[in-house]
Amino acid sequence: MNELVQSTLTAQDGDISFFALFWEAHIVVKLVMMGLIGASIWCWAIVVDKTLLYSRLRRQMNRFETVFWSGQSLEELYGTLQSRSNHGMAAVFVSAMREWKRSHEGARPAIASLQQRIDKVMDVTLQREAERLESRLLILATVGSAAPFIGLFGTVWGIMTAFQAIAASESTNLAVVAPGIAEALFATALGLLAAIPAVIAYNKLSSDVSKAVGRMEGFADEFSAILSRQIDERG
Amino acid sequence: MRAGLIASVAGHSALLLWGLIALPDAESFATKPVDTLPVELVPISELTQLRKGEKIETEIREVAAVKPTEAPPREAPQPEDKPGESVVQQPTPPAPTPTPEPEPTPEPEPEPAPEPEPQAEPEPAPAPEPQAEQAAEPEPAPTVEPEPQQAAAPVPPNVTPRTKPTPPKPKTQVAEKPKETFDTTEIAALLNKVEPAGGSTSTTQDQASLGSRKGSETTPELTVSELDALRGQIAQCWNPPVGAIGAESLVVRLKIGLSQSGEISSSPEVMNSNSNPAFGAASSSAVRAVMRCAPYNLPIAKYDAWRDVIINFDPRELLGG
Repeated sequence: MNELVQSTLTAQDGDISFFALFWEAHIVVKLVMMGLIGASIWCWAIVVDKTLLYSRLRRQMNRFETVFWSGQSLEELYGTLQSRSNHGMAAVFVSAMREWKRSHEGARPAIASLQQRIDKVMDVTLQREAERLESRLLILATVGSAAPFIGLFGTVWGIMTAFQAIAASESTNLAVVAPGIAEALFATALGLLAAIPAVIAYNKLSSDVSKAVGRMEGFADEFSAILSRQIDERG
Repeated sequence: MRAGLIASVAGHSALLLWGLIALPDAESFATKPVDTLPVELVPISELTQLRKGEKIETEIREVAAVKPTEAPPREAPQPEDKPGESVVQQPTPPAPTPTPEPEPTPEPEPEPAPEPEPQAEPEPAPAPEPQAEQAAEPEPAPTVEPEPQQAAAPVPPNVTPRTKPTPPKPKTQVAEKPKETFDTTEIAALLNKVEPAGGSTSTTQDQASLGSRKGSETTPELTVSELDALRGQIAQCWNPPVGAIGAESLVVRLKIGLSQSGEISSSPEVMNSNSNPAFGAASSSAVRAVMRCAPYNLPIAKYDAWRDVIINFDPRELLGG
């Protein structure tokens, strides 16, 4: 009897090294862990990508604003910008200028509702730009809210197997359960590890997006006012 | 997007690598084998029945006794500290010093004795020799005396020379007595000390023990569970006369003699009687039950406890009364 008890107890030596925690886990827990690690990788990829994108966009907008308000003629600016692919304010400017040009190209310029058309075009461009900036941000939000639950699921599953181990060893010793529970809690740790940066990054990036979009809207309104003055002066 | 993905994968793999390097050093915790706890069956009678002994004693010993109360006092004092002689012993240390001087001292003291020399003159007969001694030390004598007197207690000034000889006697008594008395008391003391160390239940030497005077002598008791086992074993074979009138009151008290193998050595004896006509059937059913379940499983070590067993066959317990 004594030997039996000892053998069942000594069989469960706890190895809490990084790999052991993963490899000794149940297949479900393993899948959960792998999923969480994948989510974490994906989240960080998005965070890096968006951060780079926003900083680049901010720089472009700054440069465009200085050029725009430098007194350079809009025609010339449009000429230089037209050839490349534009983002942010430049895109709004180019779309509005294109509409303006087209309206004046024909023999009979369509100036009657030019103002509305330009506004519409700028709105569409703005929306497209905002969409581009906000894309994949929802993934961050999803991971941030769901990852803890996924990790918890892995933990619950691991604890279930740990308790089955108690039943199998017929011992109420905590040492029998402890390794299983430690291993199960590792899943929750991974879930939190993925979720916390995702939530923080989502909040930061979405505020950045709204700031950038607000800035573009401001520019669009200003430019619309300028064009409207031009139209009225010419008309 | 690709740049972000690459950066993220690189970051994660770096973190994992760091984890692989840093965390495997964590000591793996090996669970120590758990010792099984030995469980002993303890007879509950130890708690319910008081043991025979003295109420004053603090220690519970194997053998309870009433007589030995005298033994401890004998045991306690060391052989040298006998109550009668303890007073006498005190003078012993100063004894050697007074012995040389008792003879000169008595003569000067009874009289006013300012000058020892005039005394020596009126008593010529004893004098000649002491005089020679005292002549040499007439004056130092009074100075020397007080010292031994102080040590030997105030007796000398008040008491006549007769008392003075007495101190020497106890000295000799003390010297002699220890030799005689040492033997007996020491042996007794040694015996007393050896016995508790022996600690076996069969020792005849009595030793004071905590308990009450009405308590039982120590005998191996069956534990409650063992008694229950015996009871259950017998109950299986017992078919009480359920249908009889007043069956509930048909309590049969049986005395069974058992051999060491658990067999019945003497035929069961009915210890009580009842006016109920069904009592004969009840008692015979009880005897039958005892005979049928004959080999009983009881611990041989406690054979003394179950050599003779008295069992109450109470139908109420079986009938759920």
